[in-house]
Amino acid sequence: MIRPHDSVIVHTLARVFTPIIQLFALYVLIHGHDSPGGGFQAGTLFAASVILPILAFGIQDSQVVLERRAIIFGAIGILLYAGIGLLPLILGGEFLNYGKLPIPGMEASARRHWGILGIEIGVTMAVAATAVSIFYSLSERGEGE
Amino acid sequence: MTSSLPGFLFAIPFFAAIVIPVVGFTNQKLCRPIALGALVFLSIVSVIGLSEAVSHGPLSHEFGGWAPPIGIEWVIDGLSGLLMVAISVVSLIALVHAGPLVEKELSGRVIPFYSLSLLLIAALGGMVLTGDLFNLFVFLEIGSLASYVLVGVAGGRSLLSAYRYLILGTIGASLYLLGVGYFYAETGTLNMADMAQRLPDVLNSRAVLTGLIFIVLGLSIKMGLFPLHGWLPDAYTYAPDSCTPLLASVVTKVPLYAFVRIAFWIFGMATVSTQIPILVVLGWVGAVAAIVGAYRAIWQENFKRMLAYSSVSSMGLIMLGFSLGTETGFAGGLFYVLADTLMKAALFGVAGAASYQYGASTVTDLARLRRNMPWVLAALVISALSMVGIPPTAGFFGKWHLVVGALEAENYFAVVAILVTSMLTALYFFRMFQRVWAEEPLPLVEPHVLETPFPIKMSLGVLTFGIIALGLGSDLVMGLIFESVIPKGF
Amino acid sequence: MADILLYRPHFVAFIILFLLGMYIMVVSLNLVKKLIGMYIMQTSIILFFITLAVKKGSTIPILLPSVTALTPEAYANPLPHVLMLTAIVVGVSTLGVSLAMVIALYREYNTLEEDQILEKMK
Repeated sequence: MIRPHDSVIVHTLARVFTPIIQLFALYVLIHGHDSPGGGFQAGTLFAASVILPILAFGIQDSQVVLERRAIIFGAIGILLYAGIGLLPLILGGEFLNYGKLPIPGMEASARRHWGILGIEIGVTMAVAATAVSIFYSLSERGEGE
Repeated sequence: MTSSLPGFLFAIPFFAAIVIPVVGFTNQKLCRPIALGALVFLSIVSVIGLSEAVSHGPLSHEFGGWAPPIGIEWVIDGLSGLLMVAISVVSLIALVHAGPLVEKELSGRVIPFYSLSLLLIAALGGMVLTGDLFNLFVFLEIGSLASYVLVGVAGGRSLLSAYRYLILGTIGASLYLLGVGYFYAETGTLNMADMAQRLPDVLNSRAVLTGLIFIVLGLSIKMGLFPLHGWLPDAYTYAPDSCTPLLASVVTKVPLYAFVRIAFWIFGMATVSTQIPILVVLGWVGAVAAIVGAYRAIWQENFKRMLAYSSVSSMGLIMLGFSLGTETGFAGGLFYVLADTLMKAALFGVAGAASYQYGASTVTDLARLRRNMPWVLAALVISALSMVGIPPTAGFFGKWHLVVGALEAENYFAVVAILVTSMLTALYFFRMFQRVWAEEPLPLVEPHVLETPFPIKMSLGVLTFGIIALGLGSDLVMGLIFESVIPKGF
Repeated sequence: MADILLYRPHFVAFIILFLLGMYIMVVSLNLVKKLIGMYIMQTSIILFFITLAVKKGSTIPILLPSVTALTPEAYANPLPHVLMLTAIVVGVSTLGVSLAMVIALYREYNTLEEDQILEKMK
């Protein structure tokens, strides 16, 4: 059982930092093309932004529901990745060949750009959900393995 | 020629593994039909893939449209197609068998069981089909993680065995990764076909030798080759009965396939026998493994533990067959791989059925099968006779081809090792028969379920039929192996 | 022997870390300490791969629009870095699974020392 932290400083800083961390996670995700970053790193940052308020304010009963939803969120993220990968396979190309995605009005290199962004979003969802569900199962509230 | 079949062979179980948790949270009864349907579909596609590869030559699939050696390539040729068929069919039968057992011992964890089993099968398929060394590491780890959790999913005693399996398995995978790093540093490529072309230039360097040793060590831990088999007895004994047929039959065979690919396709049989004589060393290791494994199995009281040591012994025999250095030895080893997959699935299936119906765990308890489980008893008898090597079962033909291969290679120590192993195997299986039939009857105990459930009967029946059919049709299978699996100019 | 220390210190570092990690894994009786040793061992392998990618005087492997002539020697090898991203993720997932197992073991036996768990299992 994670109890709320005593200090006012921790409460205030958690409240201030959580949206900043999420914004930074979005930045890292979208700028994965040009600077260090991408799906995995952004997913971990998202998970940190979920875990920080839990550590500061204590785990509340309402958050037990979130654990179940976290796994489904992660599964949807992986389905997004695998779906974007499978679509070119069904349409006659190869697995994960984003050049053959059926997006109208773009040439192959632009399609690869958007395909990579799509799968990175899927990876972010999956990694964030996995880290959060590991955290839930490690705290006493979760249903462990 | 390029084809999209390899992509489908991975996508089908992978999608099913992801869809099952999403669907299962709403309606738990849908997990099993989705899993079994996906595996039936996978078996059909893998048979199509094998027949295409045999008739038209290897099918290759480049991921992302990037051509090898820069991109990752997946190949269905004779060997990988054959193993893919074996994996998909045997895992389908194992999951059919697991139905009643999952209800009983894993209630409340049904969704993780099916999802992880399908993820394991997808990862094994990926390992078999890939043509890239690092991709093989990734799938090795995915499959291993799924199997660590499957061993420990029942809780209780199995948790420590799963933890030890995890530690040893991670050491093995890390050693494999290290070996791949050495190979990459020397040749600059990770694609298997490309590396086969670049290796002859750098063959004399110490880095290649060290890399090969690390890879062999890492894969030996994963496949349970004595003396690196420490995780195997505990993991097989304490894993839940629903998972053990799947774990024992296919999971150790795929790292063996990885070793065969690296040794015979990347290095070449001549190189590995004479220039870097690793086959000689592995021949001795295999012979010792076969004999020690069979010897240890004689003294076990727990039936699953006896079968675990029997698995160590079989892996030793298979490694002995591959290390003989002749075509017949290679074909015999591969045939014994197929036979052993069926036999171990059947034997662990019998153990699961006996435990389900009577709570039987020791060899003496198996006598209870006589009372009202005739089909399970028949499956036990036939798989045991096949392990010993009595015609016309598949085990006899496997050992026959191994002995013929050893005689061709004029390796008389190997012949002696195979015969001694068969005698020891006969010892512990006939001891089991004695406990089942020839001793005084056990006090009567009421069974948990009066009649063996239909999925168990059907799956054990199919496996038994498969053992006999593989034995009777061994000519066809050996012909297929010689024609399509072994490359020309071996 | 001395030239290895002088010219290839990264290999020496890798070997020391690898053996250290393996020693911790084998010798310590606490389950979590074994996991720490496992992760050190995996990190040493990642370090080994990354050091394969370095070239003297090279820059980050991003093709700027202003570059006309391609010289492979001017760019660091990106392939080992990408491989190690995957290996790090694999290591983290292994750590996650093993920590979940350790938690389950703790809930079952109320101790984290392996010899005490073996005692309780008898």
